[in-house]
Amino acid sequence: MSILKTSLHEEHLALNAKMAPFAGFDMPLQYSSVKEEVMAVREHAGVFDVSHMGEFYVSGPDAIAFVDFIVTNDFKNAEMLKAVYSPLCREDGTVIDDLIAYKLATDKVLICVNASNIQKDWEWISSKTANFNITLTNLSNDYSLIALQGPKAELILRDFGVNIPAEFPYYSILETVHEGEKIIVARTGYTGEDGFEVFSSHDYAKKLWSKLIFNGVKPCGLAARDVLRVEVCYPLYGHEISDSVTPLDAGLGWTVKMSKPDFIGKAALEAYKPKYQLVKLSLERGIPREGYDVLDVTGQKIGTVTSGTMSVVTGKGVALALIEKAKVPADKKYLINIRNTNYEANFHAKAFVTGGHK
Amino acid sequence: MSNSIPSELKYTKDHEWTKIEGDVAVIGITDFAQSALGDIVFVELPEAGKTLSHHQAFGVVESIKSVSDLYSPLAGTVLEVNKDVINSPELCNAEPYGNAWMIKIKLSNPAEVNALLSASDYQNFLSTL
Repeated sequence: MSILKTSLHEEHLALNAKMAPFAGFDMPLQYSSVKEEVMAVREHAGVFDVSHMGEFYVSGPDAIAFVDFIVTNDFKNAEMLKAVYSPLCREDGTVIDDLIAYKLATDKVLICVNASNIQKDWEWISSKTANFNITLTNLSNDYSLIALQGPKAELILRDFGVNIPAEFPYYSILETVHEGEKIIVARTGYTGEDGFEVFSSHDYAKKLWSKLIFNGVKPCGLAARDVLRVEVCYPLYGHEISDSVTPLDAGLGWTVKMSKPDFIGKAALEAYKPKYQLVKLSLERGIPREGYDVLDVTGQKIGTVTSGTMSVVTGKGVALALIEKAKVPADKKYLINIRNTNYEANFHAKAFVTGGHK
Repeated sequence: MSNSIPSELKYTKDHEWTKIEGDVAVIGITDFAQSALGDIVFVELPEAGKTLSHHQAFGVVESIKSVSDLYSPLAGTVLEVNKDVINSPELCNAEPYGNAWMIKIKLSNPAEVNALLSASDYQNFLSTL
C-alpha cells in the first residue's frame, strides 16, 4: 500500500517538518523543537494536522441508540451538541479502539476514530447495524481535521470570525458556516489544554492552516502531541489500551457505564476481574521508554512501561505502565529497569501535569 | 539543515567526531547528529577507567522521543568524562564540537585513526543520506 498524505502535506514540507510514516500516513513528527511545540500548547496555542484520523457518520432515527449500543460510555443521556469519549469493545470486553462520538442531532452522530484503526473499526461497526434503522458512512477521506490547542485557542478562533457561542464548555460541538464553508467545531483535543478541533473540507483546512501559521500559531507535530498526552496521562490505543486488554485494565472504568440497559461487552465486563492496573511513574534521573520492565523492590518484574517520555513541563522522565493486578505493590514502591540498571520511580496518584481545559 | 564540519576533526558514519591529541582522542557527536536528534535531554556516559573496544557502545544520548547509542570510534581506556554534558544535555545541541565533548580516551591502537573519515569524506557521506 502506498503511503497516504493529508491535505496539508505540502504545507508540512514547506515548513521543513521532519516527516515520518504513522498509521499509513506521511505525517509531521516535529517542525521546530519538541520542547518549544509542547510549551506553545501549554502556554499559548499550537496547531496540529490530525486529518489522518477517521470520521464515520451515523444517520437515521436510531443513530443515538446505535452509538449508545456499540460504546461502553453513556451516549444516550449526553446532551445534544456534546461529545463523549468512549472505548469501543468486543463482546468479550477487549478494546477495539477508543473514539469520540459527537451528538450533532437526534438523527446524526459523528464518530472520530484513531487513524491506525479506521478499517478495523469500520468493519466492526458495519457488522453491528442489523437491528438499527441507520445509515453508516465512512467520511475519513472527505474530512480534514485541524486541532488548535492551548489557552489562546478560543481567542484566535473568535478573532477569525468563527461563530462560537458565549457558553461553549469543554466537549461542546457546533455545526456552523465560516467563510462560506460548513464546518464542525468541537471543544475537544488530546493535550489536556483548552482547545478546538475543526472538521472541514480539505480546502477550508488549507485556508485555516495557512491563516493560523501566518498569525504566528506554532505548528506542532506528532512528537509534541504524544508528550502532551502522556504528561496529562491520557491513554493511547496500541499503548495503554489494545486488543488484549479491557477498559477496566487501563484506568478507564469511568467510561464503562453498567447502568446502561445493554451495550456490546456489558456481560463480559460485569464479570471481569481486571488483570492489570495502569500506574503513573516518574524518575529523578533517566527517561523511561515503552517496553521497559517495571519491578517491585524485591526485583520481581511486575509490569511494563506502555508510554514513556521526558516531560517538557516537569523536566523529568515520566511513564504510564501496566502492572499485573496481583503484583501491584502495597508500598507503592516501583523500580524501572533501564539498560540493566534499576531506578527508583516516584508513584503519582494524579497526572504529571494539570492541563488547563475548561 | 545546516551542518558544520570542522576540518581538523575526524568522523565516523555513526556521526561521532574525534579530535586526536597525541595518543588521546576526544569524542563527541556531530552537528548533523544533534540536529537529527532534536532537543537532547539526557546523556549517559561511562566511568573513567572503562576499557572500550573499537565500535563498542559506550553511552547513550536521548532526545525527548528517541534513544541513540554512542559508539566508540577507537579502542582505548576512558580518561575523562564530561560532567557538564551530563548535567546540561542541551549543550549537545548548542555546541556539539565545543563544550559538548563526551569522553577522552587513551588510545590502545593508534593505527585505527587512519580508518576514520576526514571532514571532506564525512561531508560526502552526509550527501548520500
